[in-house]
Amino acid sequence: MTEVHPDTLRRGGPPGGEAAASLFRERRRFTLTLIAPAALILLVFQVLPILMGVDASLRRFSLTDEEHPFIGLGNFRRILTDSQFLGIVLPNTFFFMLASVGGGVVLGLAIAMLLNRPFPGRTLVRTLFVFPLMVAPVVASIMIAWIFNDQFGIANVIVTALGFGPVAWLVTPWLGLLIVVLTDVWLQTPFYVLIILAALETLPREPFEAARVDGASAWQIFRNVTLPLLRPVLLVAIVIRSIDAFRVFDTVWTITKGEPGRATEVFSIYAYKEAFVFLNLDRGAAASLIGAAIIMVVGVVLYWGLRRITEVSR
Amino acid sequence: MTVRAGGRAGAGGALAKGWRQAFVGLALAGVLGLFLFPVFWLTLTALRPESEVFYVHRGSHITLANFLKAWKSPKIQESFVNSAVLAVLATIFSLQVTVMSGYMLSRFKGATNKVWFTAIYLFRTVPYITWVMPLYLLTQSLGLYDTYLGLLLPHVAVHVCFFSWVMKGFFDGVEPELEQAAYLDGCSHWGAFLRIILPQALPGIMALGILCWLFTWNEFLFALILTGSRTPLLTVTMAQFVHELGVEWHLMSATAVMAMIPALVVTLFAQRYVVSGLRL
Repeated sequence: MTEVHPDTLRRGGPPGGEAAASLFRERRRFTLTLIAPAALILLVFQVLPILMGVDASLRRFSLTDEEHPFIGLGNFRRILTDSQFLGIVLPNTFFFMLASVGGGVVLGLAIAMLLNRPFPGRTLVRTLFVFPLMVAPVVASIMIAWIFNDQFGIANVIVTALGFGPVAWLVTPWLGLLIVVLTDVWLQTPFYVLIILAALETLPREPFEAARVDGASAWQIFRNVTLPLLRPVLLVAIVIRSIDAFRVFDTVWTITKGEPGRATEVFSIYAYKEAFVFLNLDRGAAASLIGAAIIMVVGVVLYWGLRRITEVSR
Repeated sequence: MTVRAGGRAGAGGALAKGWRQAFVGLALAGVLGLFLFPVFWLTLTALRPESEVFYVHRGSHITLANFLKAWKSPKIQESFVNSAVLAVLATIFSLQVTVMSGYMLSRFKGATNKVWFTAIYLFRTVPYITWVMPLYLLTQSLGLYDTYLGLLLPHVAVHVCFFSWVMKGFFDGVEPELEQAAYLDGCSHWGAFLRIILPQALPGIMALGILCWLFTWNEFLFALILTGSRTPLLTVTMAQFVHELGVEWHLMSATAVMAMIPALVVTLFAQRYVVSGLRL
């Protein structure tokens, strides 16, 4: 990015003396004014709540109690030794993240490659593919909950018509989790399709023509030319979506609520239930901070990895 | 310019090409059908009379009665209005705040810029649940719980990090020479920003505005925790439906279909702009 030095330009030379100092101050004041509203909102409505959460996590803080005595790290210890959190919630969350992002990338790539050629009605088909991205996760989850309703859902109508017994879709833990993952893949795939299609349009033509002249097959071209060229875009998308998938809430809450028997809980659901169902805000806050720390590490690692790889490939 | 990454596989001949085209068409149609089936099924359920809603696949009676009945419920009407108004306000404020912050990120490099950029990246990774739970306490102690303002400001905060980043991208796409020319003409910082640069970035900003409206309309977790009985929002009302009135699928699907209309409008009429806003 070219840097702009308006003051330098206006004076026709490097700044010096008092006039330059005042111009520098003016520039600085403008810079700070630009970020002041955003920074203020961030401070009051995100940073302050995070600090309040840290405070609450160090106390005995039930929503039903008046007094909130300081108890140190007890809540963290409790979460980190909770077999529900370690044995169910964390594996579920990471499984959700990997399956949702992995499924979305693969399906998104496939659809984008299929759409990346002229055919009649292409614009319409493309538009229809974008639609799930715009639908509220809650609304989409209602659709899925209805389709997989164990008594009246169309899924069981089809299964019984095929001669099998009805399946208890959402009350079988692994099926419930799988359905939530597939719902998320369905909702997020358009995002990958969009950015991959956009990226494909900006790729240089020469490598493709060269590969074709060399007699490479379609798969070879995809594997050796398209994919490496798409790598920077894919990595940014993967980082963003991994962070979002880790904190998934809406679909899980609407489809399974973490049931049956808390077997489909992911990290956000666990923290929410601790705070607002069991009314232990302290443990909810501690759990949410542990999750925040985990995703922060995952995010930073992905971010640095991404920067390194994109720099190398340039 | 579209790059045909697929291309022709050597000396396949016309027959192989025809087969491949048929396969591609079938694959696309299949995936598309799967993608749209839930939407179709929900809409069909909403159109079926109450007595037949449990056997959507049988019978052919179609009615709009469910939509009328759902719309007549005061709580649903109130939720629609609240969600729409909140989304409009959140869009206006979010754009205003992040257009400035994004411009700063794009143009004024230096230590402050680095700190702000890092802060945005870090705070975007913080899971919503981590700060929305204490926000519940904060809005209560500020007397903002279950009010418009108590919903609006957190919903702006949700967008600050991501939108600042996207806005930076929009401004990166505007040539710096434009500002330099403006400065040489004697424009102030504000003058150059508002009169010269902002109009150039406007298409992207409009796209982001449409998305922001839709995001807020679709948002669930903040709405769930920060609303009470006085400010019901649509997504929360619907999710309560699923668990409380779990058997009234005819009303639930009618409400959900109505809640989906903005998404449909955006997809059909504004998709072109929105896609440019989503580019990375």
